[in-house]
Amino acid sequence: MPVKEKEPMIMHPRPSSIVAALYTLRDLDTDVVILHGPPGCCFKHARLLEEDGMRVVTTSLDESGFVFGGHDSLVEVLEKVIRRFNPKRIGIVGTCASMIIGEELHEAVMDVQPDVPVIEVEVHAGYRDNTKGVIIALESALAAGIISEAEFERQKSLLKEATMVEKRHGAASKEYLEPNRGDLKFKVAGRLLELMKQGKRGLNILNAKKETAFMFADINLAVNQIAEKLGSPIINMANLNEDVGLPKNRRNAREIKEELKNRGMDIHHITGGLDEYPVAGNSANQIIGEKYSDYDFAVITGVPHALPMDNINNMELFSITNGPRQVIPLKEMGHRHVMVEIDLHPRTLGINHIVESEFGATLREMAKDV
Amino acid sequence: MSKQIAIYGKGGIGKSSTASNVAAACADEGYRVTIIGCDPKSDSSITLLRGRRIPTIMDLMRQGVDIEEEDIVFDGYKGVKCVEIGGPEPGIGCAGRGIIVAISLLKKTSKAIEDTDLVIYDVPGDIVCGGFVAPVKKGLVSEAYVLTSGEYMPLYAANNICKGLSRLEMPLNGVICNSRGAPNEENIVSEFAKEIGSQLLAFIPKDVLVQTCEREGFSVIEKEPGSAIAAVYRKLARSIMTKSDARVPEPLDDARLRELTKI
Repeated sequence: MPVKEKEPMIMHPRPSSIVAALYTLRDLDTDVVILHGPPGCCFKHARLLEEDGMRVVTTSLDESGFVFGGHDSLVEVLEKVIRRFNPKRIGIVGTCASMIIGEELHEAVMDVQPDVPVIEVEVHAGYRDNTKGVIIALESALAAGIISEAEFERQKSLLKEATMVEKRHGAASKEYLEPNRGDLKFKVAGRLLELMKQGKRGLNILNAKKETAFMFADINLAVNQIAEKLGSPIINMANLNEDVGLPKNRRNAREIKEELKNRGMDIHHITGGLDEYPVAGNSANQIIGEKYSDYDFAVITGVPHALPMDNINNMELFSITNGPRQVIPLKEMGHRHVMVEIDLHPRTLGINHIVESEFGATLREMAKDV
Repeated sequence: MSKQIAIYGKGGIGKSSTASNVAAACADEGYRVTIIGCDPKSDSSITLLRGRRIPTIMDLMRQGVDIEEEDIVFDGYKGVKCVEIGGPEPGIGCAGRGIIVAISLLKKTSKAIEDTDLVIYDVPGDIVCGGFVAPVKKGLVSEAYVLTSGEYMPLYAANNICKGLSRLEMPLNGVICNSRGAPNEENIVSEFAKEIGSQLLAFIPKDVLVQTCEREGFSVIEKEPGSAIAAVYRKLARSIMTKSDARVPEPLDDARLRELTKI
């Protein structure tokens, strides 16, 4: 009975396993998800996911639902969902309340007997790592025959890496992390333009998680455009492999890659797929070690803390994250300039094209005067 | 194919005593037996372990240790596998959730509920919330037994349990009468069993020997194998292992129940 190294209690709020399950169901092209729980549970993300075309409804458990059980409500909502939306694929996701009172999602499915696949996800938000919600959702998808065993194993190992990335340098690295808006974009853009004017050589790396790449890529695009104008040699790397991952992630990788190409940006190295951000940093690291370790600066967007420091230690780093709690860990790793694209994620839902970023816009505006 | 049973009945009616004596008697007959205590007070297996208290699944989970089979499954009398789920002190937390969590962990870490001939779930007397029927809902219990005396209140509880079983479509394999020495007891319970569509499987007479042995940390099967009461448990054990006439019970209405228990 080996005692696990007691992990520190983390006080700042972190991503929820229920929400992680919801996003996973979206990536699996689920049409409607029923949240079995109180009406307000996961409201913000439920709404956002509707931008991506997935309906989210709730069984609206109330005080009497907690006391008398929510089976009948779930049956009723499931029947209504089938009638109203005629879905091809349904998800049912647990919440803290329904899981504590011992609701059996499968019982309702047995009662209703829908003739389309139902992915039942018995999840609550009480897991230390939100990736647990993804794993439970994928287990159910595997059981329902929607994904292959090989894809499941691939996802599982990626999620393990994602959890490790967060524990090493991310939101799970400290007992409490102060949120921080990061460095002023205006100032940092000035410094980056100065380096490019001097003809310094730079790496332009996109290492983004799934759809967030729709905005992070805009920064890499701006850097590429300006470097070209100023004659600064730039190497572009991106985790935009369109041949791996769940359906939505492949689609998005293709869309972004095509748009970048059409707007004149060549990607010199593909480091992995959009769901491979926890490991794509390692391939970037290897490529840098082999070819570019003497470069002067690097712009890293998305999940910069997943890129090992080995070969970029001596470069001037410009990192852009969307997590205000990621600023301090990045600074501690040695990233000199860290910026936050606030509220990035909501603006990357429901779209299939690159959207303008604040830092990209700042760079473009300032480059006009150069 | 192992037999997976749960013994239900009003709190204090003698479920744990019956479960542990049946477990010991089946082990005597050469069956491989597993007993799973689902009560937060975790005393189902204590008389199979000579009074020793074993660590409960929930205690270990709370300590944050990596749990292996050998940490939670203990060999008791004649190799009976003993597991205690455990749970919070009365009045705090949520014991029902504890059962849900522990059952799923047990399923993952141990073969004790598969590679065996008999699994007995010793469930708490009052099924106050969803968690307490987790073994049934997770498909781990295939037949139920109801334990009662011939008094009105335990019979009322037994009848209530039958309502639950009928809602869950869980077959009842028999009623066991644990006598409190009430008048006409065997007839009353026998009639009750018949009317709900089941049968009286055993009449266990009140015998102080059961308590004496328990106090010392033994079942009567182990401590007083030659006693009359040990013979009763042996007979019950044999019925459980051989008879299978399980049917979903039809609970009585309260008026009939009152009528039935009139002396």
